[in-house]
Amino acid sequence: MMTGTLASHWAMVGITLMRVLVGWHFLYEGLGKLTADSWSAAGYMKQSRGPFAELFRGMAANPNLLAYADTITMWGLTIVGACLILGLFTRLASLGGIGFLLLFYLCNPPFIGYFYTIPSEGNYLIVNKNLVELAALVVIFATGSGTFAGLDRIVRGLLARKPRLAAA
Amino acid sequence: MAGEDGKDKAAPAAADGQRKLDRRDVLMGLSTVPALGLFGYAWSKQKQVKEATAQAAVAPRAAAKGDVKEINVALIGAGSQGQVLTEAMLRIPGLRFRAVCDIWAEYNQKRVVNTLKRFKHEVTGYVDYREMLDKHPEIEAVVIATPDFWHAEHTIACLKAGKHVYCEKEMSNTLEGARSMVLAQRETGKLLQIGHQRRSNPRYIHCHGKLLNEAKLLGRIVTVNGQWNRAVAADLGAPERYAIPQETLTQFGFKDMHQFRNWRWYKGKGGGPIVDLGSHQIDIYSWFLGSNPTHVTASGGLLYYDPKTHEWYDTVMVVYDYMTPNGPAKAYYQTQTTNGSQGYFETFMGDQGTLTLSESEGNNPGSLYRDPNAPAWDDWIQKGYISAPQVPEAKEEEKEGGAIADVRESVAPDRHKVPVTLTDPYHQPHLQNFFDAVRGKATLNCPAEVAYESAVAVLKVNEAIEANARLAFRPEDFKVGGAA
Repeated sequence: MMTGTLASHWAMVGITLMRVLVGWHFLYEGLGKLTADSWSAAGYMKQSRGPFAELFRGMAANPNLLAYADTITMWGLTIVGACLILGLFTRLASLGGIGFLLLFYLCNPPFIGYFYTIPSEGNYLIVNKNLVELAALVVIFATGSGTFAGLDRIVRGLLARKPRLAAA
Repeated sequence: MAGEDGKDKAAPAAADGQRKLDRRDVLMGLSTVPALGLFGYAWSKQKQVKEATAQAAVAPRAAAKGDVKEINVALIGAGSQGQVLTEAMLRIPGLRFRAVCDIWAEYNQKRVVNTLKRFKHEVTGYVDYREMLDKHPEIEAVVIATPDFWHAEHTIACLKAGKHVYCEKEMSNTLEGARSMVLAQRETGKLLQIGHQRRSNPRYIHCHGKLLNEAKLLGRIVTVNGQWNRAVAADLGAPERYAIPQETLTQFGFKDMHQFRNWRWYKGKGGGPIVDLGSHQIDIYSWFLGSNPTHVTASGGLLYYDPKTHEWYDTVMVVYDYMTPNGPAKAYYQTQTTNGSQGYFETFMGDQGTLTLSESEGNNPGSLYRDPNAPAWDDWIQKGYISAPQVPEAKEEEKEGGAIADVRESVAPDRHKVPVTLTDPYHQPHLQNFFDAVRGKATLNCPAEVAYESAVAVLKVNEAIEANARLAFRPEDFKVGGAA
């Protein structure tokens, strides 16, 4: 274990950097939608393909569900983004982020033989940037990066003090 | 876990498994907080850039302050059309929004009020237009984008309150309504512009004034063809938590939220698809042909939708007869509900050429075909009225080894483009024309009388569908006289 410690210290620095960048992206996606004149996931969901297409289209067609989906997406992305940057409740935020990305990925998956009219900035086959970002969040989740560099470290420290005081 | 390994190493004192918060923990804990600060900085910079860009788009308003008097305006009807008009108006110099009226206070009204406030307009929202008119004597012009069955009441009330009015088409869903609007306009002497916005579109003005009347490029126009192919549309719906109270809905003539959202489906609320879509284009037929129709034949029906949900037909095919100053003409129009391919356009065919145009910059924005036997168009190309001829599609296909033209086919005419584009929102020039007229600097491109003629031609289609017959117009049908 000790031999790996030094390497993992630098690995943790790298993962922290990655966490801040992913968080930055989430935060901007969320705030951008919150402050837009009128943003809705309807367009993205109506274009849905693949095994869950019916589900997404059904959601887009139901105004009540759509309103909830929009609100959850806008606020969810914002909160997840801020938490990831700060390293606060990192694991919960990572899970949330993984959930969102999985939904985005499954809604419009770049499967073989699918041609999209949504403008996209790259070329994807099965793997797209949503999936890559999702994998990054899996690493962040697994390493609990917030307890290395992030508010989680302070939170953990504060929580840990109480039993010590009680014992004393 | 790696993080905990590091922590353990940093705090060997906690040998009994108890941890305490040391300086290193606090430093590491706060180490990524500056990233959030950096984000905040970048975000505010980005917002500044966006606002500057938005302000630049509406900059004429500020720039125009010096030389033009600001006009106080109000909007009645803040639905999707009201929002389209608001966006266009934000780009017009010298307008000052004062009030927005919409019965959907929690949603559309709020949205438009917020947008306007962002552009530094001090606006108040109202549910009842009468309250708005009472409280804002300073308003000079009102833009109305409510459902068709409200147009007459809103327009007449505003005219009588001394306001100039821009009212969306269709003027009214009934001829009586349209007639009462013309009479109110005459009585008050205020301006009344109806929103047939193609009348102010520079491409339509160019085609009408220069290509047809001056250059007479088409020769004698004998047939006209036009369409609006519309895709199947779902119930517009509304989130339950934003529903309008039933009391308000009833007060303003709606059975329920569903009817409020989909009023175009209902007789007595909208005027049917010929009014919703065809009205714009049939107005162009009469304008370009220089006369009103003499007869109309129409066949329509509810072919796609369920009669339980839709009161109006969804498909209609119409033939108008005209007696133009140059001779007889027939004009076909269709609107149907399947998919939206081939969109909308109008085509005028004369013995010397064909003009196809539409309001869209993407589909059929404007092209001409010259018949090979017609006089040369070189002069008009040199004047910049039309583009140089382009290789016709049929010839191009031949070159690429495609099909060889059958001998019975006429020689494919050269194709020219109409070199006029509109980069502003579609409704902006028509609104601009209205506000210029308010300032006394222009005459209206679609005043009440002109729009009334258009309403007569269009609403007759609904009668013809019902009667399943060819109906005649009398010339006096198109005039609003003393007798109703």
